[in-house]
Amino acid sequence: MSAMRIITGLFMILKMLVRRRIILISLVVIPVAFLTGVELTASEKIIPFRLASLDEKIFIEESQKYIALVFFAVANTGFLVSFLALNLIQIDSDVNRRLVICGYHPFELLIANLFSLLLVIMSIAIYIGLLINAFVSIKHLPLFIFGLTLIGFVYGCYGLTIGSMIKGKLEGVLLVFLLANIDVGWLQNPMYYAEAQNNIIIRYLPAYYPSQSAIIAAFSDYPIVNSSLYSILIGSGFLLLSMMIFYNKMRLKK
Amino acid sequence: MVLRVENIAKAFGNNKVLRDVSFEMSPSSLYAIVGENGSGKTTLLRIIVGEWKSDHGSISMVGRFGYCPQKTLLFSQLTVDEHFNYFAAAYGIEKAELLSRSESLMDHFNFKKYRNERIARLSSGTLQKISLAISLLHRPNLLILDEPYNGFDWDTYLKFWDYTYQLKMEGCAILIVTHLITEKVRFDRIYNLVQGKLI
Repeated sequence: MSAMRIITGLFMILKMLVRRRIILISLVVIPVAFLTGVELTASEKIIPFRLASLDEKIFIEESQKYIALVFFAVANTGFLVSFLALNLIQIDSDVNRRLVICGYHPFELLIANLFSLLLVIMSIAIYIGLLINAFVSIKHLPLFIFGLTLIGFVYGCYGLTIGSMIKGKLEGVLLVFLLANIDVGWLQNPMYYAEAQNNIIIRYLPAYYPSQSAIIAAFSDYPIVNSSLYSILIGSGFLLLSMMIFYNKMRLKK
Repeated sequence: MVLRVENIAKAFGNNKVLRDVSFEMSPSSLYAIVGENGSGKTTLLRIIVGEWKSDHGSISMVGRFGYCPQKTLLFSQLTVDEHFNYFAAAYGIEKAELLSRSESLMDHFNFKKYRNERIARLSSGTLQKISLAISLLHRPNLLILDEPYNGFDWDTYLKFWDYTYQLKMEGCAILIVTHLITEKVRFDRIYNLVQGKLI
């Protein structure tokens, strides 16, 4: 493993990312479009909801608009990061293979991709966090941004896993969006969760802990240590899986 | 000996593409493997460079090898210079050496004017030259080329052979896989891949 190779890879990946204008524009425009849509359509009606990972008796009352904005910020981060991670690992896989034949270790390439992804996750989390703060006042903004980073980490590593496993672009997008849509885009919605019949199922989905971290930080003063640790654990699990698949696919068969 | 291929066999399901392929290359040799489309030429090269695993047999190689695949595998969003930097990192080439090597290759194959252009904006012939130059960047002592001159104009084709002879004189062994050979006299040996065997 060579630090110089990882750094070169990181710079090249970031350059390629910055040059794909449509992706950059999407990253900026999509959250604005989503949040504006919520701002224009959600009501100000106050509704009680339960923070899933806390005591069952703890209910919080907030306006539907506030809850929806926070939820959409979380969902947006999950969607965008998983799609980006999928693209990062999948789009130039044949050329990456050539780099491996020429001397790169598969892990050097994967680490370079992971560092690029982490930079992007932090940028997206900070951007969406600040953006939502322009719509509503978030209770603990730095912790909320940290929660968004966690959802980005979990779903980014999920995107890396799918991208390492699936060669077809369409199939990859389908698998990423399918889980992201059901999990972070629907079942983790606090308004849905509060009324769900079998919420034990929801607890086992990857977005549960990171979205709890973000939602708890946005609405309450309760600590997010446990949910954050579980998020890191789940994200690391996906990361390990993606590393194993990527290595097995990219290594030289001699 | 630079390359020894022994008893290589490869099947995809019931389709036995390669059956007991063996050959050996020594320094300063220029070999060709020809065959019809789908005869298994690219499969053999992919096994030699380590991209695929054979079902049977072994490959031994001495020294550095350069590989130019049939498809021009390049990053569409990076420039020519950036490609040289990226692949130089893969080969472990120092900056000073990279500079002199890349300048010389760009001069010889006449694409210096595109050095700051992104790959997505270049013609397929130019991409083929860049792909070839990347495989030559680290002065390999075994050069493996899959259909290297597809898309070359006549001038580049002649320059390609000039460079190939120069490499051969310096001790490099060169293996070219192609479906078409017009000048047999250029090669030390030509194998025909028929029904999974070299003849």
